Amino acid sequence: MANIVAIVKMVPDLVEELEINDEGTGLDRDWLRLIINEFDNHAIEQAILLKEREGGEVTVIAPETEGVEDMLFTTAAKGADRMIKLAGDFEEGVNNHALAHAFAETAKNHQPDLILTGVQANDDLDGPVGPLVAEYLGMPYIGYISGVTLEEGRAIVRKEYPGGLIGEMEVTLPAVLGIQAGEEPPRYVAISKVRQMMKTAEIAEAEISELDFSGGISAKRMYLPEAAERAEMIEGDEEEIAAKLISIFKEAGAL
Amino acid sequence: MPERINYWGIPHSWGEPELYVYAIMFLAAAIMLLQFYRQASLWWKVGRPESRWDKLHIRLGRLIQYAIVQTKVLRQRYPGIMHAAIAWSYFVFFLGTALATVHDHFFEFLHGNTLIVYKFTLDLFTIFFLIGAGMAFYRRYAEKPEKLTLDKGFTWTLWMVTIIVLGGLFTESLRLAVERPDWGAWSVAGWLLARLWISTGATETTLTNWHLGVWVFHLLSVALTLVTLPTGTLLHALTGPLNAFFSELDRPMGALAPAAETAEGEPIFASKLSDLTWKQLLDGDACTECGRCQDACPAFNAGTPLSPKQFILSLRDSLHHNGSKPKLAGEAIPEDVLWACTTCGACVYECPVLIEHIDTIVDLRRYLVIEGMVDAELQTALTNLGRYGNSFGKSERMRAKWSKGMEPKVKNANKERVEYLWFVGDYASYSPTLTEITKQTAEVFQQIGLDFGIMYKGENHAGNDVRRVGEEGLFEMLVEKNIKAMSKADYQAIVTTDPHSYNTLKNEYPANGGHPVLHYTELLDQLIASGKLKFSKKLGYKVTYHDPCYLGRYNGIYDAPRRVIEATGCEIVEMPRNKDCALCCGAGGGRIWMEEGEIKERPSESRIREAAALENVTDFIVACPKDVTMYSDAVKTVGAEESVVVKDLIELVYEAL
Repeated sequence: MANIVAIVKMVPDLVEELEINDEGTGLDRDWLRLIINEFDNHAIEQAILLKEREGGEVTVIAPETEGVEDMLFTTAAKGADRMIKLAGDFEEGVNNHALAHAFAETAKNHQPDLILTGVQANDDLDGPVGPLVAEYLGMPYIGYISGVTLEEGRAIVRKEYPGGLIGEMEVTLPAVLGIQAGEEPPRYVAISKVRQMMKTAEIAEAEISELDFSGGISAKRMYLPEAAERAEMIEGDEEEIAAKLISIFKEAGAL
Repeated sequence: MPERINYWGIPHSWGEPELYVYAIMFLAAAIMLLQFYRQASLWWKVGRPESRWDKLHIRLGRLIQYAIVQTKVLRQRYPGIMHAAIAWSYFVFFLGTALATVHDHFFEFLHGNTLIVYKFTLDLFTIFFLIGAGMAFYRRYAEKPEKLTLDKGFTWTLWMVTIIVLGGLFTESLRLAVERPDWGAWSVAGWLLARLWISTGATETTLTNWHLGVWVFHLLSVALTLVTLPTGTLLHALTGPLNAFFSELDRPMGALAPAAETAEGEPIFASKLSDLTWKQLLDGDACTECGRCQDACPAFNAGTPLSPKQFILSLRDSLHHNGSKPKLAGEAIPEDVLWACTTCGACVYECPVLIEHIDTIVDLRRYLVIEGMVDAELQTALTNLGRYGNSFGKSERMRAKWSKGMEPKVKNANKERVEYLWFVGDYASYSPTLTEITKQTAEVFQQIGLDFGIMYKGENHAGNDVRRVGEEGLFEMLVEKNIKAMSKADYQAIVTTDPHSYNTLKNEYPANGGHPVLHYTELLDQLIASGKLKFSKKLGYKVTYHDPCYLGRYNGIYDAPRRVIEATGCEIVEMPRNKDCALCCGAGGGRIWMEEGEIKERPSESRIREAAALENVTDFIVACPKDVTMYSDAVKTVGAEESVVVKDLIELVYEAL
């Protein structure tokens, strides 16, 4: 019986074209559409799998942003017991230090045996939330996990290394794990189940103390790669193309 | 004057022979009914209740059409004639026996010419029966088609029904051989046989004794057949008519029922026998094992694990023999069997006793979906559909990207009044290989001055195949979104490109202010008829046309597309499997979103080979965007690029304008 907390967040959905804000320092969030961070979705799946296997309770905590309620109801339909959204001004984006503080503060109240989170997210890529939460709560952290077995007071975790090697390590609980992949891919949950949850399940709101923005990194410039005009289409029949190619190769000193 | 002699040749010492006859027959009938009750009571003891007692006159009509006239049985010539010969003859024999009983006990009328007509008719049907039985023996012992269940039970049934008729014939002929009435030749079959007995020179006593023996044997064989009927393959003579009588009346073939609900209003996701209705269990017992469904099934012919016949029989087995496996989905019926169905409707269409395979398959799929037992590709498609309203996982803002740059701009039906609301559909909107055709469709509409518009990002996937996958909640959500968008539009009629969207909009969406739903082939056909669409060119191609399942079998639209094709100056050469016998491309029922699994030959490849075998046919015309995708692939994989080109019907129209 473990008390498992999954800390997750919504990230920009890449099906929409990304726009840069007027300052050129980040995304124009007015045009963003958010989706569950893929790694976080695996963390949720791993949490539900552990609950199904070992018993216990799963609490999912996510900052309040567009679409977070639908996402939380979906996790409820998958089998999460408690859903909490962090009330605060997250819409404009926060740095990971601030976010990790908010997560740690709320997660602590649930006396977790295990905190699972996605190992990284598409809007930060360096994966600091897990380690930061672990630091703030004084727990050990292991990242890039793709399998978890719970034992008395400890967890055996699996981690895949390049070259097909698998490392197995033991960590004392409570601990924070950065999930690379759940043991099973995130399950499909039927819409009628989600809709049922929308009627019956409740999402709790957790007040957090002032978001502390200090200590984060900020982008000096964010931009889309500029298209370079390097390709030249050669037109004509075979003879012409061949002749043109030869002259190009000569020009480049290759012939 | 010809007279009927009751119980001719039965010794007087036997007293009243009718007492024995009725005693034996009543006993046999009682055993039969008891046995039948034991079988049948499981339907309502195990199955859920569902009322199917309404509109009795229509039900009676179906009983007559399907069980007595047997129109579906007659769809196939050889087995049709074979079965009709056997069944109709038995109907006549029953009637004959009943009339004889009336004559014996209530009202004497079988004399003179009436008796001659009576005898003549019965003998004619005896001959008709023997022809049918002969065909059946040939089929069972020599031809042995794969679809047939070559089981002892059927052989026993065939022998018994034949022995009964031969018993009657021999009895009659032996009597005629002794009596030799001057009108005896009217009993055509009996008389021929009687002459054989006469030619043996046997004495009257010998013949009378033989008559007695055969008569007793005839009586007992009838009794034995009755007793064994409910436990044997003749059971279909009871369950088949019942199934036709209780068949679905309230919805068209293209409308599925929503998931049933418990008394508390909780949806039922059928996983076991007791989740199905008594009628769905009756389906299992009604199966005649003729195998027509299996023969017509694209999934079976592709070599997938699904045989619609085995599927229905596994319901029967689970109900009667397989007590340890009351769970159906994933146990008695493996998941891959359920997922293999393209919902093309061929099985339902071919079934002589109106079994509703697809309803039950979808019911069981609903359970798999609610349990999350879907393959990865399907999961991605469903997740995309839930999030973006299309299976491609693209933004809804990109739905009308194909129309970019068109002049004049395609109207937004959510903003301007239009006559025709064009429901474009996912494939036509998003599939990169189809957008050129979609653009041509818009250009044709513009050139002929059609006042039309689209809903841009307001349109969502219509949900036809989402529903058939078994994701009912997602279907409902898509319907709500589309209805909301459509309610904002001002239009006279809906026109669709995709037959799947067409089917669900027409048959499953709540009545939308009575606006008609048209497939574009219907609309073009109407415009040609009214003179609004005229062609400047006669194309002169020799083409073949593939009927999409959801346009043809599901909605009976066979002629409109053919008329449009002919109006463009093309000649249509039909494939052997055309109209209601058309083979599915394999994409329906959500198959296009699923992993393919191991198969022998894709339905689309079989179809292309069929078309390529037609002489001088250059174009394979389709009227469904998914068909363009499926068949263009198939043309490449079977290497038929030299013989046929896949074209959407609109391409002909565009070219001929």
